[in-house]
Amino acid sequence: MKRSKQTVVDKILVSVFQRRFKSITEEMGLTLLRTTRSPILNEARDFVTGLYDAKGRMLEQTEYIPVLAFALQPVCQYLVEYFGDEIYPGDVILHNDVFTRGNQLADIAVFKPIFYKGELISWAACKGHQADVGGAVSGGYNPQAREIWQEGLRITPVKIYEKGRFRKDVWDLIFSNIRYSIVEEDIRAEMGGCVVGERGILSLLERYGRDVFKSHIEFLFNSTEKMMRSEIEAIPDGTYEAESYVYYDGFHEGSKFKIQLTITVKGTDIRFNYAGTDTQTEGFVNAPYGASVSAIILTFLMLVNPDMPHNDGMIRPIHIHIPEGTFLNVKFPGASTFGNSITGPHADAILKALSKAIPQRVTAGWNRMLAFAISGKDPRKGIPYVDILFNALKGGSGAPYGVDGYDHIGLINCAGGILAQDPEMFELTDPHVLIKHEYVTDSGGAGRWRGGLGVETIFKIYGEQVTGVTFGDGVDEEARAFGLFGGKEGSLNKMKFIYPNGQVYYPKSKEIIKGIPPGTLFHEIAGGGGGYGDPFQRPVEKVLKDVQNGFVSFEKAREDYGVVMDPLTYQVDEEETRKLRGQ
Amino acid sequence: MRYKIGIDVGGTFTDFLLAREDGTTQIYKVLSTPDDPSTGLMNGLQEMARDRNISLEEFIGDVETIVHGTTVTTNAVLTYRGAKTGLLTTQGVRDALEMRRGIREEQFNNRYPNVEPLVPRYLRYPVEERLDYKGELLTPIREQDVHGAVQHFTKEGVEAIAICFMNSFANRAHEEIAAKIIREKMPNVYLTVSSTLLPSIRFYDRISTTVLNSYVGPILRSYLTSLLRRLKEIGFRGVLLIMQSNGGVVSPEIAIDHAAVTLLSGPAGGPVAGIAYTAIQGYRDCITIDMGGTSFDAALIKNQTPLVTTEGEINRLRLALPMLNIVTIGAGGGSIGWIDEGGLLRMGPQSAGAKPGPACYDLGGELPTCTDADLLLGYLDKNYFAGGKMPLNEEKAIGAIKTHIADKSKMDVIEAAAGMYHVINVNMAAGVREVSVKRGQDPRDFPLVVAGGAGPNHACMIALELEIPVMIVPKESSIFCAAGMLMSDLQHNFVRTYARLLDQMDPKKFRDLFVEMENEGIALLKTERIPKDRIQFTYSTDMRYIKQYHEVNVVISREEIHQGKLTSIAKKFHPEHNRLYGYSLEELGTPIEVINLRLRCSGKTDKPKFLRMKGARPDPSQAFKKKRKVYLPTKKRFHMVSVFDGDRLHYGNRIEGPAIIEQVNTTTFVSQEFSAICDAYGSFTLYLKSREREFKGRVIK
Repeated sequence: MKRSKQTVVDKILVSVFQRRFKSITEEMGLTLLRTTRSPILNEARDFVTGLYDAKGRMLEQTEYIPVLAFALQPVCQYLVEYFGDEIYPGDVILHNDVFTRGNQLADIAVFKPIFYKGELISWAACKGHQADVGGAVSGGYNPQAREIWQEGLRITPVKIYEKGRFRKDVWDLIFSNIRYSIVEEDIRAEMGGCVVGERGILSLLERYGRDVFKSHIEFLFNSTEKMMRSEIEAIPDGTYEAESYVYYDGFHEGSKFKIQLTITVKGTDIRFNYAGTDTQTEGFVNAPYGASVSAIILTFLMLVNPDMPHNDGMIRPIHIHIPEGTFLNVKFPGASTFGNSITGPHADAILKALSKAIPQRVTAGWNRMLAFAISGKDPRKGIPYVDILFNALKGGSGAPYGVDGYDHIGLINCAGGILAQDPEMFELTDPHVLIKHEYVTDSGGAGRWRGGLGVETIFKIYGEQVTGVTFGDGVDEEARAFGLFGGKEGSLNKMKFIYPNGQVYYPKSKEIIKGIPPGTLFHEIAGGGGGYGDPFQRPVEKVLKDVQNGFVSFEKAREDYGVVMDPLTYQVDEEETRKLRGQ
Repeated sequence: MRYKIGIDVGGTFTDFLLAREDGTTQIYKVLSTPDDPSTGLMNGLQEMARDRNISLEEFIGDVETIVHGTTVTTNAVLTYRGAKTGLLTTQGVRDALEMRRGIREEQFNNRYPNVEPLVPRYLRYPVEERLDYKGELLTPIREQDVHGAVQHFTKEGVEAIAICFMNSFANRAHEEIAAKIIREKMPNVYLTVSSTLLPSIRFYDRISTTVLNSYVGPILRSYLTSLLRRLKEIGFRGVLLIMQSNGGVVSPEIAIDHAAVTLLSGPAGGPVAGIAYTAIQGYRDCITIDMGGTSFDAALIKNQTPLVTTEGEINRLRLALPMLNIVTIGAGGGSIGWIDEGGLLRMGPQSAGAKPGPACYDLGGELPTCTDADLLLGYLDKNYFAGGKMPLNEEKAIGAIKTHIADKSKMDVIEAAAGMYHVINVNMAAGVREVSVKRGQDPRDFPLVVAGGAGPNHACMIALELEIPVMIVPKESSIFCAAGMLMSDLQHNFVRTYARLLDQMDPKKFRDLFVEMENEGIALLKTERIPKDRIQFTYSTDMRYIKQYHEVNVVISREEIHQGKLTSIAKKFHPEHNRLYGYSLEELGTPIEVINLRLRCSGKTDKPKFLRMKGARPDPSQAFKKKRKVYLPTKKRFHMVSVFDGDRLHYGNRIEGPAIIEQVNTTTFVSQEFSAICDAYGSFTLYLKSREREFKGRVIK
């Protein structure tokens, strides 16, 4: 009998592999950051990189925007099934399709199988939000879409390189259906990132051999699984329910859609069940299964030990049931570009449900994103420009137990990984002049720990032929970031356009706006996060500091926090304060 | 006898390298005095005088140069004990300082707090004014606002002011108007003007750097003023120079105005020392590593030039002045080992520091540290730690490792100690990858220069992990940075943003901007008494393909600037982009965009000369001490190995691994894969036995 070389596991080597995987994905990320063209990628870091084993199981990832990240493993596993034994050294595969486990059409992924001595051992993948993906509307967001084909080009698994040979015919077919040539460049950068990943894995294989590699990654999966199980075990067993709503489908004023969530914790397993969630909407306010799963994992990861390695093992104790045909698991051929953006309301349901089980680990509600994707011609350079205004959309996070919420962090989908544009680079890159970009007074929900602050942004548009799309939430009264345990709600999102003729236009939260003339003022307020705990318990000196800095007004200091002070001298009236606070 | 002294103030010890004009050197270490670091410094000088049986005054009279690395500014930022600072900035963007770029570095950690800004909002004063991205006027400056700020800042008692307006990199007029008013009305505050300190694009980078400069300026000013006074009082007539984060030195007068240049200067002496030690053997490239008590620094040097970054950070705040690209990770002798929830062994980043310290120090530390593991594995001698001044307690080390590692993961104590040793080595190897692989460099092409008290103990395993065939352990490895400081030149960096497509650039403007920077450099060096023939300029531009966001810095020649050779500049950019990121777009004809022009201006200082031993001889037996049991990691068992006294080794002495070389402040472990050879200056070169022919010849000439 052949002697198995796989029996001895060196635990220390397992740590070595885990660290190496992480640093390889970081190197891949650095390559993308430095070489891509679209500001969405290189300024905002709207991309992820990852490594997978031969079966498509996650080895490690770098997740600047986690909602994209946790849909990579399912797609990688799909590629393995789809191509079967027709995966060759030198292949490069493109994918974005949401009905084959992707999360959003604009998030185009490149996968590269990694072979060692003729055997498929691993995969490297990069996925980034592209400036365009064809379809009816430039930039990939189409609130008018009623089916997937109106949203963009579906790229089911396709080889752009096979056995090292570039397939020009396939490449041209794809990119003749996409508006901007920078997308081609950015896909090339993603391929560059995968080559960096391949190099890293091969050097590990050369050093340790494939048997050691294989046995040690199994051990790594198991040890991470054990770590996740012990985290879940610390959550009291029970059933926890919550609901949350998404507002407006882009067609029917006042429409709202319910997420019904039942979480069951038993021993070392956790189940997320969405039975009772509303059926899918007519428009793009639906999520593909991949985006919903990503939303669950990224929210839950914020509630456990942040040192957890990110690999297949951590997912194993998490069980998910989302009925097909609900708006969290859209049925073919429904539209779903809004899917990533449902993460906000979706996370609300998870945070609310688990607030009963682990009150000191959850946060209050985060500001729900309201975004504006703009495109037009830059008259200074005579070339097109596209941007998602991350600086304007980044509101505050909900406060957790123990610290204030994070200011200007932005949508929970990114967990604070997405960068706001630098103000001067913003003016160099886009034909805009920034007039205001500052924190908003009283935006963070009052609490013993205050919600993160929201931001007000005003800039003048000098672009030509400018159109844009709003997509988001958090504008309806009920959609404020919720407070917890006595904490108050955060402020709402608001957006308006002031045209050169003085006319003011208030767009809806999902709308295409065409013909924006040069000289128009864009004005957005991104709201704050929810507060945590009774605001009367917030130390007076912290309230005073917030008032001095203009983050909380005198009125709200009195009304919400029960702190009375002289508006000229900032002198706290201690007696009045004690009285108000009932001490 | 004339002396030069390098002084490096660290958290625990202040290191000194005393270099005599005859080429001999002496190492001193005294305890640091954090409340007033100059006290520790004076104590060290006192000790040197005492050793010579002369008075401090007599000794200091013979000192011609003191190069001083200080962490007073670093500590002021880390502990938020800088000056009360006010900020004048463009109306509408006063929160840019606090917002940074809106990221949470620990994405999945909900309790990770936002950064406390160095200037709270009530001290950030908005001024109505506006220039566009080309520096053209949109809104004139409202001087009343500046006067309003003067009133407010006076009332609040600020000690320092920073001025940073939008797009001032392109036109400094508004900042100058504001600065003039401040200087008139508040002549005693410390003032930093962004377009003077850092006239380059990226508002957050500039505002953060400008504020950092003002925040630490008064601290550095009072420290250096009092140090100069104390030195003068004892009769010092030589030159005092201050270490900067860019690896160069600067006069105290200029340092006071540009205080932020000292912010990350702690480890900056290392790379310079690395260049000197490797140049002896004819290398132009190297990687330096420095493993101390709590942290590990790694840096890469290519073509005798350390890698430089303009994207540095201190305490999560951007510092965009050019500085050596040194990666620091939490790995040192004090790093604590622990078992995570998944049952895997981890090391650090928590450290036991000097107090309570590793368990074996017997000062109350109960957690197992790297030093405890090193002791049990035989790399350290419990009776010869710090030259025998500090006996180590083996029982305590065993107890700590048993309780916290071995019992929890069902290993025996030695297995656990070996695991700790391995994991921390892997962590440090990852730190080396940060500065090499991530920058497109293959570490196998570089000799590894090993420093720090704990470094030489771990170096062989780090080298094996990275497949590096050769290492150099300098004689002065335990005070490496102090040595480097004595080898540093004066250095000043200048930048101008000139954002244009390369082929649309005006060659005259391009040239004029460089000449303007040259003149500023010459003027500064003149105040430092450097004549023109000792000045060296290095010209470079930051470029990118159109629409990219990050630039690649490319060194260009004076000729290219003066003759406007734009194609030849482009020709240098494409291969550099390819080397860094795996592709170039030369064939597609993609336009290149220039963003910044940079000038590095250095003034050569006189360096100490080191004494050279003569007459190489291979036999090391005169330095043999004894044999002891040492754990061989690649064989996973103990072995009796020879121990040598490093201070008694002679030029040419060759020691085959496995072996231990002991010096007072450091121990070198030569694993069985390597041999060590002593060079003419008393440093050790360790090389893979299988490649002896290649490396031995470089040492023995």
